Parts: sequence; C-alpha cells; structure tokens
Amino acid sequence: MKAILSIILAAALIPVRPATAQGVKEKIQVKARLGYAIGGTAPIGLPATIRSIESFKLTPNFMVGVGGKYRLSEKLGLHAALHYEIKDMDGEITTKGYHMKVKMDEDELEGVYTGHVRQKVRQRMFTIPIQLTCEISRRVQLKAGPYLSLLVDKDFSGYAFDGYLRKNDPTGIKVVMGSKEGEWATYDFSDDMRSCQLGVAVGVDWTLGSQWGLSADLSWGLTGIHHSDFKTVEQTLFPIYGTIGLFYRII
Amino acid sequence: MLKYSYILALLALLLTSCIKGEPQNMECDILEAWVDDDRLAEHFAQNADMRIIDVPSSEEQLTFVVRNRSALPAMPINFKLSPGATIFPVGGSLQDFSQGPVTYTVTSEDGQWQRKYTVDFREAVMPGHLYDFEDFELSSDGKYYVWFDMADDGTKNSIWASGNEGFMIAKPNAPSEDYPTVPEANGFDGYCVKLTTRSTGSWGRMFKKPIAAGNLFFGSFDSRFALTNTLKTTNMGIVYTKEPIKVTGYYKYTPGEVFTDKDSKQVTSRTDEPAIYAVLYLNHDEQGNKVMLHGDDVRTSPYIVSQAEVSTLPPTDEWRPFEMTFEASAPIDASLLRDGGYNLALVFSSSKTGDMFEGSVGSTLYIDKVEITFKNEE
Repeated sequence: MKAILSIILAAALIPVRPATAQGVKEKIQVKARLGYAIGGTAPIGLPATIRSIESFKLTPNFMVGVGGKYRLSEKLGLHAALHYEIKDMDGEITTKGYHMKVKMDEDELEGVYTGHVRQKVRQRMFTIPIQLTCEISRRVQLKAGPYLSLLVDKDFSGYAFDGYLRKNDPTGIKVVMGSKEGEWATYDFSDDMRSCQLGVAVGVDWTLGSQWGLSADLSWGLTGIHHSDFKTVEQTLFPIYGTIGLFYRII
Repeated sequence: MLKYSYILALLALLLTSCIKGEPQNMECDILEAWVDDDRLAEHFAQNADMRIIDVPSSEEQLTFVVRNRSALPAMPINFKLSPGATIFPVGGSLQDFSQGPVTYTVTSEDGQWQRKYTVDFREAVMPGHLYDFEDFELSSDGKYYVWFDMADDGTKNSIWASGNEGFMIAKPNAPSEDYPTVPEANGFDGYCVKLTTRSTGSWGRMFKKPIAAGNLFFGSFDSRFALTNTLKTTNMGIVYTKEPIKVTGYYKYTPGEVFTDKDSKQVTSRTDEPAIYAVLYLNHDEQGNKVMLHGDDVRTSPYIVSQAEVSTLPPTDEWRPFEMTFEASAPIDASLLRDGGYNLALVFSSSKTGDMFEGSVGSTLYIDKVEITFKNEE
C-alpha cells in the first residue's frame, strides 16, 4: 500500500501550471484500448509443496477500455481509465504434502495432499487505473500507478485428482483420489472471493502511427483474491497479469 | 516487440523459477513386512504367511501366523517403508518374539513424523464360535466404535471390521452414535450390534456414494479406496481352521422409508432388505500368493469352497431367530484347513445392495447372539 500512496503523493506534488489560453483541450488525450492478458493467480513465491506446473491453458483474457490523459507538464501527465477486463486462469499443478482443508457444508476434509490439482479461476471486472505518465521520447510513454477493480463475475473452483490425501497429518489414514469424475475431490470457493481488488499497474505505450500504437502492461494485485479470513487455501493468492495491447488515439 | 518478449519472460520467470527444491517425505508407514529366510519357512504353515502385504494406512499391528510360537527362534523381519523413511530396530535385525510383540518405530525422511508399529507372531488361534457383541471400544481417535473377540487369555482379536472408518472420511464431525455401525444396549441379551444405513452428506453425494449401509464383517477395512473403489475397501475373511456347517442368531429389521439409487433418485418399486451371508474360501492361489476377497468378488470368486445365506429376513420389531446352512461347491482339504489355508467371511449389512449405494436411509438391522456350528461338533 505504501507504494500506491507514494505514487499518489508524487502525482499530487507535481506543480500544475495554470491552463493557458490554448485551453484544456490541448492537454487532454483520449485513447481506446484492446488487449490480451497472460498471467495467473498464484502465491507470491510458490511453496515447496507445489512441485510442478503441468499445464497452463490460455483463457480468453481480453481487455477493452477507454482512458484519458491530462498533461501536467512537458513530460508528465495523469492518466485515468475505465477498462473491462477478464483475468481467468486454467492450470494444473502437482503437489507433494500440500496442506489443504476443504469444507463442504459442515463437513471438513483436512490433510496433506500429494497429487494433481486442476485449478480454474474466473474473474470478470471493471478496472479503474489512476497512473502517472512520463513521455521518455516522442513515441514512448511510461505509466505507473494504482488500480481498483470491481468484480462482476467470479469463480474459483477445481478438483484434486490422481493422488492421495493423508487425513489430518502425514500419519493419518490414506484416501486415494481417482482420475475420473466421481472419484476426485472438487471444490468451489467462489463465494469467498473479494468483489473489490486493489493493486498497482505499470506499462508502456509505444506510438507507431499517427493515431495508434502498441502497449504492454503489468498489473500486480496487492489484495489476495479471497477475503482475508479465508484460510482454506494455505497461501494468499494474488492476481498477476501482463497485458499486450493496441491503442487508438481518439482525441 | 522487445517489450512483449520482456513481459513474457517475466511471466515465465514468475511461473516456473519459483519451483523450490523438493521437500523431504513426511510419511512414515510400513507398507510390507516379510521373513525371507528359507530356513525359517518350517515355522509357517504356508509360504504366504511369511509376508504381510498391503498394510492398511490405519493399521499399527502386524501379526504373522506361525505353527508354534514357543519354538520360535529370533526372527529377522524385513520392511518396505514409505520412501526415505527409516525404522528402528532396523529391518533384518534378529528380534525375539517368543516373549511377545516387538515395537518398531518408523521415522519419516524429514525426521518430523513417527509411527509406532507392534509386530507379533501368533499361532492360528481359532476365534470363539459365539458372538455376543459385548466386546467393543472406541477407535484410537475416539471417532467410531470397533468390535473385537476377547480370547481366553484376555487378548483382543480384531476379527470384526465395519465401514465406520470410511464413513468418518465423509462425515468427520458425526458423533460416534450416528455412525452406520454402533453398539446398542437393548440387545437380545446385553449389547447387540445395530447397523443403520446412513446418508453420507455432501461429500458422499459429490463422490456418488450417497449412502453407507451399516455393516459388520470378518476381516479388515482399508479406507484407501473409500472415495474411489469402495468395493475394494472391505477385506473380507479371517483364517478359520474348522469347517462351518451353519450359522444361527437373532435379528430385528426395519427398512427405511425411501429407497434410492446411487444418484439419490427415489425408486418407488423397491423396499430395502438386509443381508446375512457367509463364505469359506481358499486364502492362497496355486503359486502360494495370498488371496483376499472384497466386496466385488466375495460371492463369485473361484476360490470359494462353501457358502451360506439367509434367504429371507422379513421386517420385525421383535427378536427373531435366523439360520443359514453352508453348501459346499468344492472339496475342502481337511489338513489344509487345520493349517489355516481357508478364510471365513461372515457378513451382516443393513442394505443388501448397499455396496452399490442402493438402499434406504434409516434401514436398521439389529444382530445378536450369533453362533457358528462346525462339522465335528454336530
């Protein structure tokens, strides 16, 4: 959170020159954007109990949005936008002795799990980034700042398969998870997901033509995707996505 | 495009380079135990008795069956353990079992976990032939009841098993009185055993195993397959050294109201029925490997030599006698029988097709005063 605060503070401290006769109009730039995100929702620093990433499927992580920049000085500006984003994930991992606790109604299954896990995350959201921009050349502009996302659709579910659980601890009874539906353990923690996410985003806009260009952005969630009192998954999971995009300058 | 590849590289880094070194194994089980010295084979009735395989994960007592325990020299036992685990006393070291069981401690590879096992050598004790269900206790974790046969010298023979351990996986918070197999104070005389078909709740529904019939059988339970292949959880049969002729006892039965199939759908045309049957079978194959029957083959295995079933058990609120007579399907070798070459499985269930997850929640079978009659006693 300190990072966000200092960025906001820095933005606020930039001396804003009074609008000249040329008017506010010249200081404003509006861009429409389209992008595709690759990334995931993962703990920062994978625990040793996660042994491998077996598969990582591409999901339709498209982004569309429109944003405006207000020029503060020759190089600096303030950028705000409204994006509709999809930050999905579909991956498979293997674990060795991973501590897990899965609750179904009032019945809880806790233990250490060794085997495969298929994890699906669905996050559809409106995001408002507020960024400080800096033109390092006529064509290249850097952006950095906090963002706020409001989720309109969310899902966090998956299943543990082809493995076994030792109930409670590694000396507990062994329960095998099979490799077909009805023999594996499914879970769904969609209801425990936050509806509101905060994070920081950095990026670069690279103008190629007179109106259009390419962009690359990295957004790093500072809040976990679940409520802080959610303890079923051992590590807090953060959404971290990189977006490659196109922009078109409208104004 | 430079920026693009930079971002991709960063993501790849995030996803893969964070995989840490493999943690050491935390498990500390004995998976198999055996004696492989040919000179010691004479102490065993058959070669299959020299090896204990497929030790259930909840088992902490391993018993080798020998001809004469008092004549036993110090025995070297070899073990197959969880990967990386160590055992003390070490595998293969000579231990004296003539004075009683020896305790072995297994330590996990990471050194953080231990399990203690007692290993014993005993003669093929003939369990009693009268079962009154007075001898039971709570399991070591206090969750559910287990039954045993009290020998004359006061040792507990764990001849009875039930699906209670499997039920615990699905309903870990259930009080011990709400398990499928429980003791009941108002028996025919003293305690009886009460078998009730129970719902397995959300977990059971998810794994398409929505009910658990109350059952009690000779043998052991292996919870490993409780969520995948339940028919393999029931290791049915214990060594019997006499030929059974008939089984008698008393029962009460009330079927549950709504009969459902494995998808929890109501089947109006069916009413639940209990099951009482017994099977005598060869406990080793031609090569001397152990044979254990499970829920999927206990009625159909080619190793079966004789079986009995109570044909009808009408519902009753009052204690009623039942009787079933064995019908042999293959000759029984008398000397092999004496040497422990046959297993007897005696099975009670509150829902006859409960193994297929068909039955009525609430079906209740009470059993008491069971007696097995043997050939030379008639």
